[in-house]
Amino acid sequence: MKTTDNLIKENIVDIKKSQQDLDSLDTKSSNVDRRDFLAKTAAIGVTALAGTSLLASDEAGEAAILEPQSWGTKWGDPVTKNLYGMPSKYEHNVTRRYTKLLASGNFRASIAVTPIQESSGIITPNGLFFSRSHGGVAHIDPNEHRLMITGLVEKPLVLTMKQLKRYPSVTRTHFIECPANGGQEWRGPQYNSLQFAKGFMSCAEWTGVYIKDILKDLGIKPEARWMLAEGGDSSKMGRTIPMEKVLDDAMIVWGQNGEALRPEQGYPIRLLVPGWEGNLCVKWLRRLDFASEPWYCKEETSKYTVLKPTGKAIQHFYANEVNSTVTSPSPEIDWTDLKDGDVVEIEGLAWSGMGTITGVDISFDGGKTYKEASLKGLVLPKCWTRWSYMHTYKKGEELLLTSRAMDDAGYIQPTIDQEILKVGVEAVYHRNAVETWKVEKDGKVTHVEVRSQLDRKPNGELVIEGKA
Amino acid sequence: MFKLNKKQLISISAAAALSLGLTACMENAAPSSSSTAKKASIDGGVMYPVANGKTGPYYVNTNAHNQKIEYGRVPTEKEYEEWNSDVMADGTGLPEGEGSVEEGEEVYEAKCVMCHGDFGSGGGGYPSLSKGNAYELHETLTNQRIKPDMDGPVRVFGTYWPQASTLWWYIKDAMPHPMTDSLTDDEVYALVAYILNINEMEIDGQEVDDEYVLNREKFLKIKMPNKDGFEPNIAGPNGPENVRKYFSNPDNFGAVKVKPSERCMTNCQEPTAKVVYIQGAGISDFHPPLSEVRDLPKEENTGFDAPKAYEANCAMCHSADGMGAPVIGDKAAWAAVTAKGMDKVYSNGIHGINGMPPKGGADLSDANFKSIVDYIVSKSK
Repeated sequence: MKTTDNLIKENIVDIKKSQQDLDSLDTKSSNVDRRDFLAKTAAIGVTALAGTSLLASDEAGEAAILEPQSWGTKWGDPVTKNLYGMPSKYEHNVTRRYTKLLASGNFRASIAVTPIQESSGIITPNGLFFSRSHGGVAHIDPNEHRLMITGLVEKPLVLTMKQLKRYPSVTRTHFIECPANGGQEWRGPQYNSLQFAKGFMSCAEWTGVYIKDILKDLGIKPEARWMLAEGGDSSKMGRTIPMEKVLDDAMIVWGQNGEALRPEQGYPIRLLVPGWEGNLCVKWLRRLDFASEPWYCKEETSKYTVLKPTGKAIQHFYANEVNSTVTSPSPEIDWTDLKDGDVVEIEGLAWSGMGTITGVDISFDGGKTYKEASLKGLVLPKCWTRWSYMHTYKKGEELLLTSRAMDDAGYIQPTIDQEILKVGVEAVYHRNAVETWKVEKDGKVTHVEVRSQLDRKPNGELVIEGKA
Repeated sequence: MFKLNKKQLISISAAAALSLGLTACMENAAPSSSSTAKKASIDGGVMYPVANGKTGPYYVNTNAHNQKIEYGRVPTEKEYEEWNSDVMADGTGLPEGEGSVEEGEEVYEAKCVMCHGDFGSGGGGYPSLSKGNAYELHETLTNQRIKPDMDGPVRVFGTYWPQASTLWWYIKDAMPHPMTDSLTDDEVYALVAYILNINEMEIDGQEVDDEYVLNREKFLKIKMPNKDGFEPNIAGPNGPENVRKYFSNPDNFGAVKVKPSERCMTNCQEPTAKVVYIQGAGISDFHPPLSEVRDLPKEENTGFDAPKAYEANCAMCHSADGMGAPVIGDKAAWAAVTAKGMDKVYSNGIHGINGMPPKGGADLSDANFKSIVDYIVSKSK
């Protein structure tokens, strides 16, 4: 017996086939498929018509159905209202959130994170895209904003925003992730919340120009090895980018999900360095400078560096590594409403700044054993990827849900033990070990970690305590 | 950081230089074979060069990316100078100037202490600038809090930052936080001298004591205790290749590589691994509080008319200069006030500060008083 879902899938495949084969005489097999499908849907239709006898109860039923609602009987708004549309008022709890822990006093050097427990698909709406600034959100007049390109180029350049947008445009869908996503939990779980545990990231369709398309007419000098990107906001946020990335897929973007960037995202323009630390995607961009030596900006020395147990810190740690999380269930939206035997979809996100997701495994015992989950929807480079696994829920069961993603660069998410043995627990940034939700007996979901106690050898090396 | 060379600008041999530059840089990006669109890149990941009109799954109008485009103009020398404020590790971009520890302390007390605390101790979410002797505390960088009650590494300017140029540049461009780019070069030298002083650092064998006067020449002799504390080495002509080499080894950065067919499917955790729970309530100070409920938002109108109450109770001092109170609409004055954090502003107002009596002498609930403060602040942005 096929599920309705499968039937629909077959139907979609079938329609595609019939379009492709329109000019072909050999349409026999697809016609057979279609007849098969029509026969099955017809059977369902008959059941539905005859099924009135299956209606269950003599009770009156729900008011939601029985009572006419005002929105069903009275005029709605004229189209002249809300010319820029907003979400339903009933969705007001789907919003960015902040915590004082992640703020420098006045919330100008701070972050508000994305409610990924409520996200669907792979696109974050612009109003929910996580917001991070170092001197507050600047509100720039695009007419008074310029992009200046200087340094080791034969021809320095100033562009107005209108001129910049005249370049041939490129549209790409990429996530942006703060490398401190999950960074408060190196020493143990802290947030009983998906939004705060993994919401320092969002994903959007960006439109802009390849920087290489601008540079090709400026004559970049051979000794140029680094680019400084600097913002025009009050923090003058700057970062150093190696030429290889500049000449590969780095972009200056003005469009986000079909409209202009929001001020929180750097309106009118920001840098987009696909897959790399969100901090490198400098907002309110106003200057690109080229040099033979790197710059040592504040946010690539004092912060955004990964201190290891050796006392050495990793600098220029560009890419956000392969990562994943279960998004449904979550601590916010749990399984307390499920009945015994309910079939439920476990859903999640996987992403890698180093390439394209190739697979996701799911564990029900905290990462001891894994089963393969299914990817679904579009699978794009350096982009959120949805994955799914169907589960039959047993009332009272305890589960440790852990997901683990792989990418086409060959990486797989490490266990917590594997990661902390190498980089310790003081790294702050770039934590991509597997994450675990515990489903309690009552269906509540809590954030846990599955990990060993560490010890230290006299030479400083980290080891697992009690391991033979 | 590079001076514009006008002669160079006039004689742009753009095409030649362009092909030179791009060829040199693109060599690494070229696909090893045209069919596979993947190659190890500087970040340890893969690249998707354009092959057969596509990059990865995206179609490309290759004709759009090889046109000669000449939008824009060359910046003027003045424009360039105005924005070219970066300071590099070798001193490029660092202006002449001088400032003493003593002057630095004065500026610090006037413009920095409200956030960074006494002697740079930090607080209220603002970064510490010092925790004591930089050379001694540099030794803490190997600390790992693997068990409760262990001390962590001290990561402040003196103990952690590899270059002093970063501090000079950052203060000049981005401090004081509510009013950036407002300090003179000499004031920046003075503040840097003060910060070196509270980190108990020395320059060229000489302690930066209370009498010390810093200038450009001395600044360039600063050697940070953690100068060699970062990997890979990004300096010099081999910088980018050092980075590529570093990220080609997953062990260097805590990553794991495996063939998909050989990945672990059973017994993938250490036998010692246990379920670890959030301690206490964990971090749960979320704003707005977590909720998945679909309902109508609460009405925010409390019935209290803040503008009216402002006129009645506050305008006499806050609407005119010369009363000593920050004037409504004065962005700079209120930015300085709110830089202390709104909690502090409320508390100062409720309890009184300087010449202002508690709540300005008005008979108001705390909540209503705060909404007047919010009104004044909103009118002063």
